[in-house]
Amino acid sequence: MAGQIETCDVAVIGGGPAGLAAALGARRAGAGTVVLIERDRTLGGILNQCVHDGFGLFLYKETISGPEYAERLSEDVARESVKVETGAMVLDLAADRLLRVNSRQGYRLIRAGAVVLAMGCRERTREMIEIPGTRPAGIFTAGSAQNLVNLQNLRLGREAVILGSGDIGLIMARRLTFEGVAVKGVFEILPWASGLERNVRQCLMDFAIPLELGSTVVEIRGRDRVESVVVAKVDGALAPVAGTERVIPCDTLLLSVGLIPENELSKRAGIELSPLTGGAVVDETLMTSVEGIFSCGNVLHIHDVADWASFEGFAAGERAARFAAGERAAARTVRVSAGPDVRYALPQLATAGRAGVEWSFRVTRPMRNVRIEIKGRTSGRVYARKKFARLLPSELQKIKVREAVEEDIEVGGHE
Amino acid sequence: MSERAVFDRLTCVLCPVGCELEVAKDAAGEIQVQGNQCDKGLPFAVEEVLRPRRNLATSVPLRGTAARMVSVRLTRPVPREMLFPILEEIAKLRPEAPVRRGQVLIADVLGTGADVIATRSVTEGVKP
Repeated sequence: MAGQIETCDVAVIGGGPAGLAAALGARRAGAGTVVLIERDRTLGGILNQCVHDGFGLFLYKETISGPEYAERLSEDVARESVKVETGAMVLDLAADRLLRVNSRQGYRLIRAGAVVLAMGCRERTREMIEIPGTRPAGIFTAGSAQNLVNLQNLRLGREAVILGSGDIGLIMARRLTFEGVAVKGVFEILPWASGLERNVRQCLMDFAIPLELGSTVVEIRGRDRVESVVVAKVDGALAPVAGTERVIPCDTLLLSVGLIPENELSKRAGIELSPLTGGAVVDETLMTSVEGIFSCGNVLHIHDVADWASFEGFAAGERAARFAAGERAAARTVRVSAGPDVRYALPQLATAGRAGVEWSFRVTRPMRNVRIEIKGRTSGRVYARKKFARLLPSELQKIKVREAVEEDIEVGGHE
Repeated sequence: MSERAVFDRLTCVLCPVGCELEVAKDAAGEIQVQGNQCDKGLPFAVEEVLRPRRNLATSVPLRGTAARMVSVRLTRPVPREMLFPILEEIAKLRPEAPVRRGQVLIADVLGTGADVIATRSVTEGVKP
């Protein structure tokens, strides 16, 4: 019987790189009781299965692996007397910040002064991209394959094809090669790789794994187990070109075709989501459209580097602590939109008159010698300008406005 | 003159600028690098082309716990051709729990100067 309602200053949902940092940020900003709720048995989230190095360059000033990053951040959390609940799942979140939690102690109700959403994301699946063919065993998303290989010591197959050139797919191409699986190729529907440049080099080129751009898997064959896939070139509209089909024998297909912020709880709380990011619409304090609920990390928008998810977590945690202590923001009247060649800019809202706001953005296509500008929608005035020798859709970038903005603005690119 | 034979194009990964480097050999066989905007680009490109170094990460099963794995990596990058020989050494490992993060599992693996270390601590679930 869940009669009693427990209370806390800040509740953080999710214990990955963003949530751990949010709990720390909240404590360091003076929140008394901070509860960190994690569904898995251990903290760290996806970091635990990312055994490769390249993490921590910005947060710890050295390059370490995912598990080390998770452990160090968890140790910091332990020192700050955060109330950590692992093996606990938030079933429902209401707009008045009441959490219904299924925990090791059973079903409980927790009322939070402020909530930080840090639930991360999940992978797009075969069904979501509608690959025709049979439904045999041997089809994995890249992240679940990573879990099976790195944490459960399973061998996935003998010969693999990877669809999509997201970072996890590239990392898994190398990982499978190390495990003795022949990786026959990575097929990417777009004319450019969607993962980071260094991963293309270190994970594919190092092992002579072919990367075929502008091509995709059009059919999966095999009765019980994958026996082959059919790949084909695509045209400018990304439609397969008849006559270019090729059969590639393999017993395993990995999908690295995008990530989706996991916002089921946000929807239950009535939080406004952005169709461009798949995450919440937030202001410069990372507060969502529901007062006192903040968002950070991959549940807000997909990051390419864990460190940036953590930095966003620190900021969200600090703001949540300040909200729980009674601080209220002024009306958020500045609307921010994406201009030419920019897929999205975040935050989508800002407080009029606030100076020093930093925007994250992604471009829609690879570009060279680009000027990114933040421009007033009515005055046409340029508030910030930053030059980039090269911009890639795979890289999340930042631009800061030093002065105060009073009108709606647009973040756009000029090549 | 097209005496220069470009044999590699690569993106410098030392900083976020990401200079696109073109590595070529001139008629005398000397290596030339173009496209670097700072001094660090030159040695980076030369090493990357002549003797690329890489780190290596994998995971190994752990004795003394219920089907737990421990992830491992090298303390520093090694010449790329050493990756598979080192993987064979790591495959022989069956460390016993508990292990702590940073614990050396193989010192100076195959004389490369790099150690194989555990990258997570496993204490929970250890049989007494």
